Amino acid sequence: PCTRQVRSYYVDWRMLRDVKRRKLAYEYADERLRINAIRKNTILPKELQEVADKEIADLPRDSCPVRIRNRCVLTSRPRGVKRRWRLSRIVFRHFADHAQMSGIQRAMW
Amino acid sequence: EKDESTASKDSTTEVASKSQESTAETPKQKLLDIIGNMKVEVSYRKKLQQLKTREIKKQATNKLEGTDSESSMLQKTTEDTQRGKPLKPELVEAASAVASSLPLNKKQTESELLAQLRRHEEITEKQKKGGTINIRNVISEMAVKRQSSAQRGVKISSRISLELDEDGQRIKPERLSPQSFDSRRYFSFFFLVYRSLKVGRRLNIFTKASTETENALKTVSSPTIWDLEFAKEIAAITAQPPRNGFEEMIQWTKEGILWEFPIDNEAGMEDDAEFHEHIFLEKHIEDFPKQGPIRHFMELVICGLSKNPYLSVKQKIEHIEWFQKYFEEKKELLQEI
Repeated sequence: PCTRQVRSYYVDWRMLRDVKRRKLAYEYADERLRINAIRKNTILPKELQEVADKEIADLPRDSCPVRIRNRCVLTSRPRGVKRRWRLSRIVFRHFADHAQMSGIQRAMW
Repeated sequence: EKDESTASKDSTTEVASKSQESTAETPKQKLLDIIGNMKVEVSYRKKLQQLKTREIKKQATNKLEGTDSESSMLQKTTEDTQRGKPLKPELVEAASAVASSLPLNKKQTESELLAQLRRHEEITEKQKKGGTINIRNVISEMAVKRQSSAQRGVKISSRISLELDEDGQRIKPERLSPQSFDSRRYFSFFFLVYRSLKVGRRLNIFTKASTETENALKTVSSPTIWDLEFAKEIAAITAQPPRNGFEEMIQWTKEGILWEFPIDNEAGMEDDAEFHEHIFLEKHIEDFPKQGPIRHFMELVICGLSKNPYLSVKQKIEHIEWFQKYFEEKKELLQEI
């Protein structure tokens, strides 16, 4: 039996949307990379590059990695998220005070 | 004289062992035994029929008398001893033929064979008698045994519970989760029932069914839902939850959740390709036109891929192939230019 909180759903819908964007971005990553390689070129003719521009615009909007927001994993807070732990500052402080973050200590100097 | 003595000794030994597992020294005696056993089996069924007919007749005639079966059986035994109907003419002929085939005294062997056959029939009649009466005893015995096995199961369970209650700190409280508890009970119960089933005489009520055809059918129609559920049950019972943090970690490493220590950085990667396959990618560009901006572009692509340590060879080849397809699709456009 698990003594901690068990979460079977995403915290909120914004988190769900973020998850979908991440999945799509993973799927279309290679294609985006290749088409961008054709676009950001001085050697190839410009007509080719324009065609490539149109192609990349045709891809689904959620497939671009720019739309991903690094939210807090537990509270889905979009701001104040530390990248290393994927947690918002409030959750991080909560766990650190309860000594549940390995290697974290209150700073004192 | 010597032959007679040996023959008599053989007959006595056979009688002593009740003709079932006689240590026949010569093959002729083995033959005798086989023939004797075979004839007994043949006569058994017809004996049953005869018995039934006789019982019906005698019950119809003697309604007031008690112990009808016993009286009928007694009458039959008296008849048998008189060398009357029970010994069939076929058997007698077979006995005479066997006696004639043997080199010993024909008459003596014949008489001994007939005596042996009679003993066979007596034994079978005794068994039948016992069969009709002892079924009740056997059933009662079976009932008693079942109760005892259940009692034993209860005793074992009580013993286990006592262990738990008395000393919570004993060695085995963790093992006795409800799953193992029930499984142990069931195992002990089944073991005892199995033992009680094996004990006791054969009643000769059922004939051996041919299991080969059944097995063949089973192998054809597999896997059934019941087989799958059975397999799942077995897996659930055998896969006990971990008693330790160590066992939990072992399970996790097997599943892949936990990394193997000491950590190797190339755990998931299995790049069997050597360096030259990564760097010298010019083989794949051979389809492209040798001069022009496309070639220039692809050479740049190859230069970048060769310097990339993070991709596998397959991924690099996929990149190049994608570019091939893309430029083939855009050939018309390119020719306009």
